[in-house]
Amino acid sequence: MTPLPFDPLASGPLLAGAVVATAASLWLLLPNGRDTSSARWLGTLLGLGALAAFILAGRRLGGVGEEAVFLIVSLVAVVSAAATIVSRSPVYAAIWFALTLAGVAGVLLVLGAQFLGVATIVVYAGAILVMFLFVLMLAQPAGLAPYDRVSNEPFLSALAGAVLLGVLSLSIGRLSAAPAPCCGVPSRATATPTAGTQPSSDVASESTTATVASSVAPAIDPLAENHVARLGGELFGRHLVAVEAAGVLLLVALIGAIAVVSRGEAAQAAAASPSAGRSAAR
Amino acid sequence: MNTMQSLPLLQNALTVGAILFSLGLIGILTRRNLIVMFLAAEMMLQGISVSLVAWSRYHGDWGGHVLVIFVLTVAACEAAVALVFVLQAFSRTGRLDSAAWQSLREATVGRTVDHELPSIDTVPPRFPTLTPAGILPAADENEPLQREHV
Repeated sequence: MTPLPFDPLASGPLLAGAVVATAASLWLLLPNGRDTSSARWLGTLLGLGALAAFILAGRRLGGVGEEAVFLIVSLVAVVSAAATIVSRSPVYAAIWFALTLAGVAGVLLVLGAQFLGVATIVVYAGAILVMFLFVLMLAQPAGLAPYDRVSNEPFLSALAGAVLLGVLSLSIGRLSAAPAPCCGVPSRATATPTAGTQPSSDVASESTTATVASSVAPAIDPLAENHVARLGGELFGRHLVAVEAAGVLLLVALIGAIAVVSRGEAAQAAAASPSAGRSAAR
Repeated sequence: MNTMQSLPLLQNALTVGAILFSLGLIGILTRRNLIVMFLAAEMMLQGISVSLVAWSRYHGDWGGHVLVIFVLTVAACEAAVALVFVLQAFSRTGRLDSAAWQSLREATVGRTVDHELPSIDTVPPRFPTLTPAGILPAADENEPLQREHV
């Protein structure tokens, strides 16, 4: 593998411009109570420019097909994520978030995580998002609420997001400026026990030896074949205690949710007054 | 070329994860609807998941995958509990507004004051309509039954 040489003079200003354009576009697009269409158009144009700059600053992948698929799914994810946080209606935000989940699942599939892509669709879009929509239909007043048409400090928040995005993309871009991590990465499948750069304990080196001995073909993607079965083996082998803890956590969350609901209803029945306040607040 | 340890793919996926995380951060900082804030938090989790899987592919290791599975589990628990809290908050205040609970703020933080917003609901929404079916068109007496020219 030959990583492309990192050229900060070429991609640095591009990334900086993309980050600044992203922040300006979000500042213009976030709900600010005025709803002027010129600001919306300008924000959309700036957002498209930021996307183009990000695409230009991105690394070229190996093949055209892989690159096109990755570009499409990541564009779906990013654009619908932006639409989620700028849409006024929370129902539309939830539907845009479903599209974000579809894009993220596509990215996970491109990255070779078949099980996680499907699980994202099933768990998030199938269960969590539908729960969100149920709550919205229970709790959403008719029309657009005034608190959906304003934002808390959109300029400062967009600035904070831009700073974070700039720092993250800077450190991501500097990944390739480091010496090529091709064969020096202490991955369990490819590294020989003596090639580890940092001192490892005896247990770690033993497991490394065992893994290298068991997987003899490092050229094949070890995550590709028998994907779900090997993921299950890893999950229920090395991480069995964590799986049990997660099961306990699910049970506790379920019982806690039911307890909070029933106690809240009891308190409401005891008070028996907030219905007048609710209708006045609407 | 070994497709397993592909640095450009890692960098692109990490960039997508960073963008998703930043958008979620901006959303949870600015929006005032409790549900939308929650969606933004879930979006930050999605960005983290993409980054974890990208590193996992780069290293050829299962750790990122396993961690994302636990992220999914904790997100499900969090969604259940937090939506119950949102419902309770709504039944107490009648609003999904986070500023309805601003009496919980610090003493030095300024109060959120809502200004009067310009009305945008003056124009009624236009929904698409269908042509009513099964109604005969009005007969025209003067219309010739046959055209002179085909």
